[in-house]
Amino acid sequence: MSRSSTLLKVSNVRKNFAEVVALDGVTFEIKSGEVVGLVGSNGAGKTTLLRLMSGVYRPSAGTVTLGDDTPVHLMRDSLGVVPESTGLYSRLTAWENIRYHSRLYGVKDKIAWKRTLKFAQSLDMEENLSRYTKGFSRGMRQKTALLRALAHGPSVLLLDEPTAGLDITSARTVRSLVNQIKQEGGTVVYSTHQLFEAQQVCDRIIIIHNGVVKANGSPSELINTTGSDSLEDAYVALTQEKARMRYEDGKTESTITRFWHRLFRPKTPYSLNSGVDSDE
Amino acid sequence: MNKSVNRVKTIAKKEVVEFVRDWRTIVAIIIIPILMFPVLFIVFPILLESEAAELDAKNVTIEIQYNQYPEEFTRLFNQTSTSLLLVNTTFNHSLSEPLEDLNRIRNMELDAILRLNYSDEIWFYSIIHLSTSESSTEAKTRIIGVLNYFESNITAQRIADGGLDVNSTLDPLRWDGDVGRADVATDGEQAGLILSLFIPLVLAIWTFSSAIQPSIDMTAGERERGTLEALLGLPCTRNELLMGKWLGVATITSIGVLLQIVGLLFAIGYLASSDFIGIPDLSVTAIILIILSIMLFAVMVVALELALAMRSHSVKEAGSILGPAIILIIFPALFTQVINLDGIESFWFGIPVINILLALRELLLDRVITEHIVIWMVSSVIYATLAAYYAAKQFKREDIVTTLS
Repeated sequence: MSRSSTLLKVSNVRKNFAEVVALDGVTFEIKSGEVVGLVGSNGAGKTTLLRLMSGVYRPSAGTVTLGDDTPVHLMRDSLGVVPESTGLYSRLTAWENIRYHSRLYGVKDKIAWKRTLKFAQSLDMEENLSRYTKGFSRGMRQKTALLRALAHGPSVLLLDEPTAGLDITSARTVRSLVNQIKQEGGTVVYSTHQLFEAQQVCDRIIIIHNGVVKANGSPSELINTTGSDSLEDAYVALTQEKARMRYEDGKTESTITRFWHRLFRPKTPYSLNSGVDSDE
Repeated sequence: MNKSVNRVKTIAKKEVVEFVRDWRTIVAIIIIPILMFPVLFIVFPILLESEAAELDAKNVTIEIQYNQYPEEFTRLFNQTSTSLLLVNTTFNHSLSEPLEDLNRIRNMELDAILRLNYSDEIWFYSIIHLSTSESSTEAKTRIIGVLNYFESNITAQRIADGGLDVNSTLDPLRWDGDVGRADVATDGEQAGLILSLFIPLVLAIWTFSSAIQPSIDMTAGERERGTLEALLGLPCTRNELLMGKWLGVATITSIGVLLQIVGLLFAIGYLASSDFIGIPDLSVTAIILIILSIMLFAVMVVALELALAMRSHSVKEAGSILGPAIILIIFPALFTQVINLDGIESFWFGIPVINILLALRELLLDRVITEHIVIWMVSSVIYATLAAYYAAKQFKREDIVTTLS
């Protein structure tokens, strides 16, 4: 696949969970060799979008396709996914965790081992491959999850907040690895809520807010479009709408939920409008 | 197809390896099943025996209050470690009323009091004792032993005094010859009968209970630990995932059940004489059908447990659902033990759980009845399919990826 061809296409995607609308009308394309940042506040819909892109979720409407318009859930062999929770088995060693996934991808142990060793050197993890992951720090877990996602040679790497909770050195190592993958022509989707990180690592940033794409462009394009001085200002300008849950029929809560909440509403000593003094 | 089989095998292998590496699992699935029955049937009786021997050697103090004393009592009580106190008295109240002796017994000044009142050719008696004291209970047991012997002697004496033969009068109806020879059931059939009383029960309860922990760990546990999301992003289908996990749980459960049965047979073989339980006479057809019935039961139970655990949002929730659910197995299992197999109505072989338990009982007796086999097999396949379908449905839910953490 040439560097400029479209690899991943998200077309008018909507995702509902019962009556809650998590994503609505999301459309963008990711070209081969690009590092794209998904930026948004907590609950904006980044993880849901990544799960749609990894084929764990199916869209309620619209399509997520890979390569020649093949639905992504049929092309999961081409994806490498690092979920936010890392998802390591504590009673397996780091290598056993990696080997388990690569076997399920249908990759031979020898090939997976070679690839693992290559990236383990970059992440300074060779010594830890034979250790049980039970005692691993957050950084080591994240690195192992990265190695696991890379072992089968994916076309697209999907990273859900890969530096969340990491110390400065570990976060830097992870970012270096992403840069290395980029240099080698790899495609990465990088979810984060750290703007400086997105600016450092990504060619392009997609800002998601309340389940909708608010902006899609390079960091400089976002700054110029909003007339801001920095990416942070641009982000604030684009996400002024108060974060909230979106419901299918415009209600703020479902009928059953409203009834339930009314029935079991937790008692507070004072209402939000009345001050403590007014009760005395 | 080959790819799919490999994936299922990879998942199952990983589940077993991961499970075995937990020492608690080894204790729950291997140590406890293999030791449970030997401890119950060997160690416990040895403990009881030593306690009984200790009681036999114990010195107890008995007071005998009487209006007439049978001299042979002294000889009979002297055969045991008993101290006797003799009190000649008259009685003008019910012998069972402790009256002033109440505190003497409660304070353990005496272990028991035997009251004997001879009147009009009859020996009236009572034993004042404290049932919560082991010494007092032992004293009472010794008194009853002496009284039984004494009563037999009086009865025999009176029969002889009446001019009758003691033996033919007291034992006018007798079995002639060896009781065992008259039973036309073979040793193998008798062994099958004994095995049919506990094997189905053990299999059913242990299959269900030993599958609980791995089922929860591999579903709600994975969900809670966040490992499920990474797994769902892999190219394997949800059905392959379910099959792999089912195979993992079934392997672990089978090992547990097998070890428990080995422990049970070892305990019985050790405790009883070697011919107490032999090898049942089973035809090849019966053996194949037994294996098939257990497999169908395991498919149903493990699939159901995986589905219920997968439905749960947390390990805690799964445990609180699957723990009490064992009642669904215990009650039918106990109920099945009392159903008479002779002339049993065929509909019993269509009821879930009961059908497999009855089938096992029948097959262990080497009763291969085509009508029953067809009913339990068809109904079990339907139940197992329904359970597997339900489990597959749970595994295909989108929200299984969400974790509480």
